[in-house]
Amino acid sequence: MNPEVGTIIDLSVMKIAGGVNEHGAAFAQGTIGLIASVLSMAAKEYDRGADIRFAENADLRALFGAIAGTVSDAGLKAKLEAAAASKDESLRISVLNANNYDLRRLLTEAMVFAEDHDLHDAQSRIWTVLKAAAARRLVQLGP
Amino acid sequence: MNELSEKLQAYLRTRLGAPDLTVSGLARIPGGASRETYRFRARSGGTERGLILRRDPPASLIETERSSEYRAYEAFHGLGLPVPAPVVLELDPAPLERPFFIMEEIENCATGVILSPDPYGVHREAVGRQFFTVLGKIASVDPRDVGLSVFDGETDIHDTAMHEVARWEKVILEDEVEPQPIARAAIRWLKRNPPAPAQKISVVHGDYRTGNFLFDDKGTIRAILDWEMAHLGDPLEDLGWALDPLWAGGDPAHPGGMIARADAIALWEKTSGLKAEPKALYWWEIFASLKGAAIWISAAREYAQGRNIDPINAFSGWFCLAFHNKVLADRLGETP
Repeated sequence: MNPEVGTIIDLSVMKIAGGVNEHGAAFAQGTIGLIASVLSMAAKEYDRGADIRFAENADLRALFGAIAGTVSDAGLKAKLEAAAASKDESLRISVLNANNYDLRRLLTEAMVFAEDHDLHDAQSRIWTVLKAAAARRLVQLGP
Repeated sequence: MNELSEKLQAYLRTRLGAPDLTVSGLARIPGGASRETYRFRARSGGTERGLILRRDPPASLIETERSSEYRAYEAFHGLGLPVPAPVVLELDPAPLERPFFIMEEIENCATGVILSPDPYGVHREAVGRQFFTVLGKIASVDPRDVGLSVFDGETDIHDTAMHEVARWEKVILEDEVEPQPIARAAIRWLKRNPPAPAQKISVVHGDYRTGNFLFDDKGTIRAILDWEMAHLGDPLEDLGWALDPLWAGGDPAHPGGMIARADAIALWEKTSGLKAEPKALYWWEIFASLKGAAIWISAAREYAQGRNIDPINAFSGWFCLAFHNKVLADRLGETP
């Protein structure tokens, strides 16, 4: 999720501290309303951020373990097996993100291979994981 | 009077040859992150009118040809469509620090609020019918007839779809700050499943949706706004964008929170004289969500890197990108 929670809080504070009223009341009202919305989203992300990343990383590792055997390319197969065996060493967002970005890069590599080689079962498994990940990351507005 | 107001007054006095012109009430209004939008009053020769100033921001979210938006306003206002009258285009940054243009203000109107479950209330049927009828009229226009034969975009009916994919793929590749497997899968799908050639080349508004037009208290659409992404291309592109679930307030069966989807498409077909062939329209709807994702990826980057800390960019990078990733995953997951 970019920008990250810390960035949103920092830049929201900067925006407020810098004064949002210099362009008139209508613009200030709109800006304050949006800042309120993103801070509210940030509050929710603070609570769920580690959980959705941890769950997505676990799903991706399980996926890689499940499809590695169907991949004929030895290099890619080895990368999938290594990723499947990897772990999140910490629940810090920065650590989970770094691992998640590596896993998602590898996912794109695996998707391209599956598409190019008509690996329908692998594609189906991949989309199941992607749909779940997208649903998990959906942002709910309001309380 | 602030500095911008003084500069604007001085500029207009010279540009319009009106030494008595006075500017008052200059105030910025919400109007997207790609242009700064201000409302002001100009008085000269005993008459006063409301005007809108659209100025380039210090860092632009999506790079667009500066004169394109103004030329689109000129073209479609001239046809009698509900489009504000353009007044002045200034590409020289000297007068107001950045390029800008000025158009008439359409007063006493409202915009539909994106994400609202019922943005038009009792006017939803009337607004919806006008919305898709006007879009059909835009699609029906021959760009050569309105002076837009040389314009941003692609003029070959066989190439316009891939031209647009390439455009937004470039944005994603340049601006993604974290891996985007769904967007990249969508790009591959779009390339592997090209739509039928465009039925014609039209002027594509580029951002035709709820929130980008004004309607009055009688439910009459008075102004189609935000032509900054206008270009030549397949008219189905605008229809796909207008039908996108993000603008539907949670009810994709009623695009834009207006009329039923089937009625919307039928009105567009009737007015444009074109067919919304389902397979081609589906491709353009996938494209619409991919284009949205590209814009939100760009917004997130601009914000995260501190180049444009308008909170709309943070909102877009979170809410809108997550929404479009979900739409794309659900749709492509059914037809990989």
